[in-house]
Amino acid sequence: MTSTAITPSEASSGERVFEVRALTKVYGAGAAEVRALAGVDLDLYEGELVVLLGPSGSGKTTLLNNLGGLDVPTAGELRYRDLDLAHADEDALTRFRRERVGFVFQFYNLIPSLTARENVGLITEIARDPMPAENALEMVNLGARLDHFPAQLSGGEQQRVAIARAIAKRPEVLLCDEPTGALDVHTGIVVLDAIQRVNRELGTLTVIITHNAVMAGMADRVIHLSDGHIQSVHANEKRMPASALIW
Amino acid sequence: MVSMLDRKLWRDLRRMKGQAFAVALVMACGLAMMTMARSLIFSLDSTRREYYEANRFADVFVLLKRAPNSIAAQIAEIPGVATVQPGIASQVTLDIPNLDEPASGMVRSLPDVGEPELNRLFLRSGRWLAPGSRGEVLVGEAFADANQLRPGDKIAMLLNGKRQELEIAGIVLSPEFIFESRPGAALPDNRTYGIFWMGYKEVARAFDLDGAFNFLTLTLAPGGSERSVIAELDRLLTPYGGRGAYGRADHPSHVRVSDEIGILRTLSIGFPLVFLSVAAFMTNAVLSRLLTLQREQIALLKAFGYSNRQIVVHYLKFAFVMVMGGTVLGGIGGVVLGHRLVLLYHRFFRFPDLAFHPDRTAFPLALLACAVAATAGVFSAVRRAARLPPAEAMRPEPPANYRPALVERTGIARFLSHTFRIAVRNLERKPAQALFTVAGLALATGILIVPNAFRDGVSQIMDFQWDVIQRQDLSLGLVEPDSDTIEYLFRQLPGVLTIEPVRTAFVRISNGNLRRQLAIQGLPANGLHNRVIDAATRHIELPPNGLVVSSELAEVLDARVGDDLSLEVLEGKRPIRTARLVGLSEDFTGVTAYMEIHALNRLLEEGDIITGASFAIDAAHRAEFLGALKQIPRVSWVAIKNSLRENFRETTAASIGLIQMIYLSFAIVVAFGVVYNNARISLAERARELATLRVIGFSRREVGAVLVTELVLLALVAVPLGLLLGTGFASAILRQVNTETVRVPLVLTPGNYAFAVLVVAIGSTLSALVVLRKLNQLDLVGALKAPE
Repeated sequence: MTSTAITPSEASSGERVFEVRALTKVYGAGAAEVRALAGVDLDLYEGELVVLLGPSGSGKTTLLNNLGGLDVPTAGELRYRDLDLAHADEDALTRFRRERVGFVFQFYNLIPSLTARENVGLITEIARDPMPAENALEMVNLGARLDHFPAQLSGGEQQRVAIARAIAKRPEVLLCDEPTGALDVHTGIVVLDAIQRVNRELGTLTVIITHNAVMAGMADRVIHLSDGHIQSVHANEKRMPASALIW
Repeated sequence: MVSMLDRKLWRDLRRMKGQAFAVALVMACGLAMMTMARSLIFSLDSTRREYYEANRFADVFVLLKRAPNSIAAQIAEIPGVATVQPGIASQVTLDIPNLDEPASGMVRSLPDVGEPELNRLFLRSGRWLAPGSRGEVLVGEAFADANQLRPGDKIAMLLNGKRQELEIAGIVLSPEFIFESRPGAALPDNRTYGIFWMGYKEVARAFDLDGAFNFLTLTLAPGGSERSVIAELDRLLTPYGGRGAYGRADHPSHVRVSDEIGILRTLSIGFPLVFLSVAAFMTNAVLSRLLTLQREQIALLKAFGYSNRQIVVHYLKFAFVMVMGGTVLGGIGGVVLGHRLVLLYHRFFRFPDLAFHPDRTAFPLALLACAVAATAGVFSAVRRAARLPPAEAMRPEPPANYRPALVERTGIARFLSHTFRIAVRNLERKPAQALFTVAGLALATGILIVPNAFRDGVSQIMDFQWDVIQRQDLSLGLVEPDSDTIEYLFRQLPGVLTIEPVRTAFVRISNGNLRRQLAIQGLPANGLHNRVIDAATRHIELPPNGLVVSSELAEVLDARVGDDLSLEVLEGKRPIRTARLVGLSEDFTGVTAYMEIHALNRLLEEGDIITGASFAIDAAHRAEFLGALKQIPRVSWVAIKNSLRENFRETTAASIGLIQMIYLSFAIVVAFGVVYNNARISLAERARELATLRVIGFSRREVGAVLVTELVLLALVAVPLGLLLGTGFASAILRQVNTETVRVPLVLTPGNYAFAVLVVAIGSTLSALVVLRKLNQLDLVGALKAPE
């Protein structure tokens, strides 16, 4: 069991994207103090698919939120390439999210008043070099449901729209928080397949949070978190296709 | 012990304190108006009643030429008469040292010994007249205040043409002159017109009325009929030049106070009704929002076994906390404003002690009105929640159903941005909610129109009165009707540019059973001073025969052009004639009737007589002219247009200004409240969606644009509707407050509309800014966690 930083040689051959050192996040103060992250060291590289495993309260969502610029750490270093995320202001964080990061959430978070195409189009309106909404939806096999509203789509379809929305900006980082948490097994696998495809075809650094250990099989690296620490890091020799996962 | 549900209530309230406060504030505005108006009605009404009783205000009044005192005894015998008080009332001219123009007034006699039976005075300062004294006078408070006169000061008075120095013994009030103004004048000018009281003997000697009276008042015995007493009185006094008796309903001061009470009565219903409707809308919106948020909590409570009734009561309590807040705030506000306004009334209405008495029934009534408004607001929202089956409610709400909005289906979709689409689809999906917001905003816009319409109406009356109708610089009245040769005397005065004669005569004008007593005005056919104006503001040339009356009088008499009206002259030879109604004039105060001056003189059978004149004066010689006028004993009163105007601007206009400001402030509070509440609700309902937009990279400004677009769209629909609504409110309320004495015309200026739009726009902008600030505090991580 190690909790040291992962060196490039152990992981992918790509460039370092995130550099995390002694990352600490504390919520509340005094008796109500919660130490969500207690000194995390981690590097993440271009093109790799990382699965973050851990029980509830282990700090995985906090880590993801910090990586995605939704939250700032209490202490420690957090760098995205040359950008110091730990000390960036609100505008810089907005720009970072807008240009670099794609998010996928457990509950899809689609805009109910926009169709699938429009939900994706929302991003293409503000991104610098977006792909056409149709292409993004094609990548997640939703080319036939472009003009359906969220209410007219199944859970799995909604989540795939969310993935298409996340990748339409051609992000460098795709952050997925329990992307299959609200789905049944079959649908979950379809969604994971879409994520894996994006990672492979676009070379996007992908981080998936889950408490479902089975998903570890599809990762380049599997990181176990517990009580705000990295408990272990395991690199897979060979990634399994999502469709081969069984739970 | 506080139940858990009550704790929840308390915490929910604290979370929504901004919105709850906005609702309470709007309610408070309505209630403050209601409490203020009802308390003022109560104060005026009860004070007047007590004053009348304590000082024995008469029921019937009559002026006459001259009758021996023995006639008074006969009058006392008329069945239905209780007490009779004969006396003397005469016009006098005054010379007030620091006043440019001659002042005038009415002198009344007081018994030389003891108090009068009726219309007893109230001594404000100084002392009563010493029995049998001479050279002493009591002065009405309004005149004394306006001219800074105190007991011990001297004033010079022309009594029947003889100048006399009098010492002011005391300053007094009379139930007959709660509203102290020159007879027939719509606006008071307390600087140049006053009421005075002197011992009977001294007045009688001055006016050659020893052993006689020319004014009489009486009270009715319980069950006495005013109508039959007046008929008998007129019969008895006709030989003595009786000018027609009248009851309290035609008593100028009494009518003025009653009119004021009538206006307050309308305001105590009209405005609060509108405000409370807005509050009901807002309560509904806040509660609906809360219930949507608490869908799962309600299901949970029901799953635990709470009954629908308990849940309904729980949310009703929420509304009632706002109601209580509104009632307390409104009650306090109403009392405070009432106090201010009572002080204002002191300028117009002279009571010994006009104290502010809060109308205690106003508070329970206010509470009831608010509770009804809130319950109406809560009812639908609560019912919907209570009907929800627990299992269904505990499941997160599925994504709402949307479809392309109507505007998009017209084919312009591709020109619309995604944020714009979100806004219009949202509005279209929840039409009821959009309707509520539009209604609230429209009401807020609408109530902004009313106070300014009132202000503009009053200012139009003034402009009309002084720029359109009265083109002269100055008018005067003679002590007695005089031959028109006096015109030549006036023409010699320094600085006179033009002069026009005026002949007035007291008449009773009737059409069938409908009648009015008034002074008919005889004017030159094509006069340029006192002009007779029709509804289209055209100058009416008075024909050589026939009568022109104000449209208000025509309405009172139910007369049409071409009808023959009966004219019973109440002075001189007292002829009774028929005159044809040949035209209708337009004015905004009182009731008036005009005839060509020669035609009137023919009708009166008195030759070429005038009772007054109007002048245009060369401004350079104004002081000389007024000085010369002070020396002419035959002049009874003088009215200088600019003084009247200035005086009006300082007193009445200032008061109207204050009242208008109060109503305007309330309207502004409501406008802000509605806009703010709406924006807050929007923000709360859409927190998750907006947070998502922020997370995927939209800036604050871009996310704010989604909210603001919605608000702007709603405002664009609401504001024109509101202007329409305001026009309706203004015309309804003005129609209700208009009386025979003053009719405020409906004047709606672009400025008024622009102001309403501006206030709503500023309100919306500020609210939007507050909400956008809230948007910055949006918990991005929390909002994404799970569906609400």
